[in-house]
Formats: sequence, C-alpha cells, structure tokens
Amino acid sequence: MTTYILRRLLISLPVIFGILVAVFTITRILPGDPCRAMLGEKATEAACAAFNVRYGFDQPIPVQFLRYLGQVATGDLGESIRFGIPVTELLIERLPPTVELALASLGIATFFGIRLGVAAATRRNSKRDVGTMIFANLGVSIPVFVLGLLLAYLFAIVLKGTPIALPSAGRYSPGTIPDEIAVVWGLGGLGGPIRVLLDFVSNMAIPNAILTLRPDLLIDALAHLILPAVALATIPMAVIARITRSSLLDVLGSDYVRTARAKGLTERQVVGTHALRNALLPVVTVIGLSLGGLLSGAVLTETIFNFAGVGRTISEAITARDYVVVQGFTVVVSVGYVLVNLLTDISYAYLDPRVRMDS
Amino acid sequence: MTAATVPTKRAAAQTPLRRALRSFLEQRTARVGLAIFAVLLVAALGADVFASYGPTEVLIGKEQGADRLAAPCINLFGCTGPQHLFGLDGNVRDVFSRVLHGARVSLQVGILTVGFAIVLGTLLGSIAGFVGGWLDTLIMRVMDVLLAFPSLLLAIAIVTVIGPGLINAQIAIGIVAIPIYARVMRASVLSLRDREFVSASRALGASEAAILFRKVLPNALTPIIVQGTLGIAGAILDVAALSFLGLGAQPPLAEWGSMIGGDRNLLFSAPHVVLFPGIAITLTVLAFNLIGDGLRDALDPRLQR
Repeated sequence: MTTYILRRLLISLPVIFGILVAVFTITRILPGDPCRAMLGEKATEAACAAFNVRYGFDQPIPVQFLRYLGQVATGDLGESIRFGIPVTELLIERLPPTVELALASLGIATFFGIRLGVAAATRRNSKRDVGTMIFANLGVSIPVFVLGLLLAYLFAIVLKGTPIALPSAGRYSPGTIPDEIAVVWGLGGLGGPIRVLLDFVSNMAIPNAILTLRPDLLIDALAHLILPAVALATIPMAVIARITRSSLLDVLGSDYVRTARAKGLTERQVVGTHALRNALLPVVTVIGLSLGGLLSGAVLTETIFNFAGVGRTISEAITARDYVVVQGFTVVVSVGYVLVNLLTDISYAYLDPRVRMDS
Repeated sequence: MTAATVPTKRAAAQTPLRRALRSFLEQRTARVGLAIFAVLLVAALGADVFASYGPTEVLIGKEQGADRLAAPCINLFGCTGPQHLFGLDGNVRDVFSRVLHGARVSLQVGILTVGFAIVLGTLLGSIAGFVGGWLDTLIMRVMDVLLAFPSLLLAIAIVTVIGPGLINAQIAIGIVAIPIYARVMRASVLSLRDREFVSASRALGASEAAILFRKVLPNALTPIIVQGTLGIAGAILDVAALSFLGLGAQPPLAEWGSMIGGDRNLLFSAPHVVLFPGIAITLTVLAFNLIGDGLRDALDPRLQR
C-alpha cells in the first residue's frame, strides 16, 4: 500500500510542475498590458517602468519563471495587482465559499444519487427505474446556468411570500456581517497558521454560524446555500445515480449474491450489506472525478447566484488582467484537483486490493 | 444464378455493421435520441422556412403592439395578436425564430468542435502509441496536465489568450477535449500494434504510415465514435456556457447560450427568454447523450446480450 501511495505521489509531481508551467505561460501570453489595464490614463512611460520593476515584469521570461517557482515553493503567490493585497489573503477570503458550495453539492449528489441508483436497480425496468433514468438523463443534459436561473425564478419569484421561498443571490441577507470566529473566541490578537485556519473556517458561512453560536445566521446561510448547491449538484447526482444503478445490477447478478439469497437473507440484507459494498467501488471514482466538473460549474453558479467564490474571482481577474490573481488561483485550484484525484485513487486501491496488484 | 446470390445476401445481413445498427435501434432510449436529433436537424435546415422572422430582426416599429419582452402569443390558445410562439426578447426579437436558427449554430458548433478535437487527439494518440519512447511520455504527460485543469477554467483561460468569439470558444473547448481522444486512441494503438495482422502487413513491406492508417486506425474507430458522440453533447454544453459568460458567440448572433446570458437579468420579469433557449440546449444535449449511450451499447461486443 505504501509503495502504491509513493508511486502515485511521484507520478503527480510532474503533473503539478506542468500545471505551474502551463499557468505561467498562459498568463504571460495573455493579450494586453497589465500596466495599462491597471493605471489607465495614468500609464505614462515612467509610471509603467516603475510598475514593471515592482512586479518583476522587466526581467527576462525565464528569470520571471524561476523567481515564480521559488515564490510558490515558499507559499508566496504574489500580490494582487488590482486589490494590492497578497493573493494568499484573497484566497483565504474567496476559497472557503467555493469549498463550502462544492462540499454541499457533493454531499447532496452522493446522498440522493446513491439512493436513486439503488432504488432503480432493485426494481429493474419498473416505473421507478424508468423514471429515475429519465431524470438522470435529463440531469446530465441541462446546463448548470439554465437550471440555476430557473431555480432562482421558481423559488425567488413564483414562490415569493410562501414559506418555501428562497433567496436567489449572495451568501447572507443584505446587511448581515458575520463575526470572525477568532474575534468571538477572544483570540483576535492571534497570528500564524492557526489564525489562518480559523479565518479560513470563518469564511465558510455554515461552520462560522455554528462556531460563533448564531442560529439566526445558520438559517440565513443555509437558505442562501440551498439553490446554488442544488443547481451544482444535479449533474454529479445524475452521474452517480447511473453508475450506482449499473454497478449494482452487475453485482446483483453475481454468484455470491445468489448464495446470500439462497441462505435466506432478506432482500434488504442482500442489497444493503452484501451487494452495495462492492457496487460502490466505481461510485467512489466517479465522486472524485465529479470535483473537476463541480469547479467548472462553480464559475457559472457563482456568477448566477452572486457568490464571491473562486470561480467568479478568476473570471473577474481575467477581465481585469490581474495576472497574479489568475495565476495563484488557477494553480491552487488545479493542484487541489490533482490531489483530490490522488486521494480518490488511493482510497480506491484501499477499498479494492486488485487495483494495487495490477499496477 | 439466384441460388448463388441468396447466400451472399444472407451474409450481408449479418455484417457487424448491420448487427450493430439493429442492436442500436432496438434500444428505446437510442430511438428517442434519434427522434430528437431528427427534429433538430429539420429545425436547423428549415429555420428560414419555419421561422416567421429573421434571427436578428428587431420588430419594434415594424409590427404593431410588439412590446419588449412580450409573453408568448399563440393563436391556437386564443391569442389574437401576431403569433410569437416563444414571445419576444429584450431587444424585441422573436424568440422562436432565434431558437430555430440557434439549432443551426449549436449543431455546427458541436460537430466542428469535436471534429477538431478528434483529428488532433487521434493524431497525437497514434503518434504516442505507435512511436513510443520519450515522445510517448512527453505527449501523454502534456495530456495529463491538460486533464489536470477543471475543463471550463482552462477553456476560459484559453479564450482570454486568443480573444472571445464563437470560433475561438470552439477552439478552446476543442483543445480541452483533445486528451480524451488521445488517450482512447493510444490505448487502441497499443492493443493493436503487436497483433498478428499488423505484423503480417509489416512483413509484407507496408510502411509504418500505411499500417497506421489502413490497419490500426479503422480498428480503433469504434471507441472514438462513441466518445465523439458523447463529446458533441459536452461541447455544445461548454460552448453555450462560454457564450453565456460572454466569451463565446457575440450578439446579435442567435446562439442559445448567449441568448440566455444576454437576457439573464430580465429573467424575473420575462422567464420565457431563458426557458425556451434552455429547453433547446437541454434537448439537444440529451439527444447526443442518448445516441452516444446507444452506440456504446451497440458497438461494444462485451455488452451484447
């Protein structure tokens, strides 16, 4: 197992290096001059020269790249050209909402996806099966932005005034400012990595509301999270339902399941404790792979629901030519994606010894 | 003479292609997909005939009572004004006509984008699999890096470099899709490269290129066709998403994603401007997904019942 993990880690390293090269290259060949984009009419020759020296744009490209590698290795992602604050600081503010949204979506997708898949497979070709598969096919076909907009219209306009009306924009009701966990806990003077961790958690609305003991904020944050999370969850939910169904159907036809039935176990025991365990193996892979789709979908969902997360920050930074932010955010998101895929592979190998033996 | 032709006809009826076709048409979902595709094709080809208005025709001043964002007006349901099946959009254009013309754009987008990805992907995959060695490692590692990015983010980054526009959005989505085909092709090449019929051609003096194009490529086509059909669905979704964000098709072109993106803020007063193009995208993507699934089941011998 250890050799397997080590080998997988080693394979990931060149990919991560490749990501750094690709992101650096893309941001350097982006059209437009960051100096002109930032300083506008004040972009005189002298001002631009000073600007370029400040951000290192005056150096040859290979030197810039080496300098960049050194910075990344020490956890320094540079300073946002637009906001004038370190990118890491911006990440601590913008990454948590996206992580929260993605986790909520993945949770919804996994919970309902597996249930739907099991429901369909145990009654093959029944109305329930056909209905589930129609839903699953529609679910992978409807664009996230269409679903998001229609949900927003349904819950914010059509159902307005009813108890199940939901807000369609932002993370809190207007005017709400959540407290920082560190401040509430009387640790306002704290610095260092623990403070960073506290601030990171603090920027996730639901953990924040729980840890600062604010039930009113919890309800408000949940209400704001439901629509975007459901919109984002639909595609992975449909995929998980399909995979669970086909995988469970495979397993239900195998000899050991017939043995379990012959022993006189109830159908519930056969499916729940015998078949499902093996059937869920491919589902684990799909859950890991959905994350890339979730991050892509997050760009759209965050735009529609006015969520200040990673996706929206990247697309705004591209428009504003804030290279440093684009670079830093894309690297962190992509490396995170590689690591999650690595975790998926490892958990898969852990669950199914055959995978370790093969490779 | 008749006796001689009967056996050949029977043999023809059982060619793998016919068997696959029959197995494809036996599936209800595949037939549904094919039916939706047929409707789309008719809509795309006959858009000029079926649409009462031009896709970019602004009706203000041309038609009495044509209001911005007017709700659908269907004569059959008792509406007495000029008929607008899907209503009017924020620029007083007929949404039905725009959705019909959008079918033309989206079908072309899906097929061209995937075609671009397939050509480059199969080429890279064949080279990697056939040549092997350091070239294989280099190509496949680059593909790994491409796959390491969340697809839409990478596409957004590429569009920013080459500039927004429908063609550029297609190129970006095409580039992002290349690794899928490269991997499929490489796997096929690797499994075929050392087979006896390939060694036989080599022994007979066929050049490497001839072996690749005449022997290996035709045998690797099945997974590429299946992936490609499913890929068309994905490409239509992704290009629509880029257009929605303003990075793909530019107004006034009648493209479904940009129709929704352009009128997004009008949703709360006029949901039809989002609803109808949204249904159109969903059905189109659904059709290609169903056809792709059907092809996979029909062409994969392991799944034959």
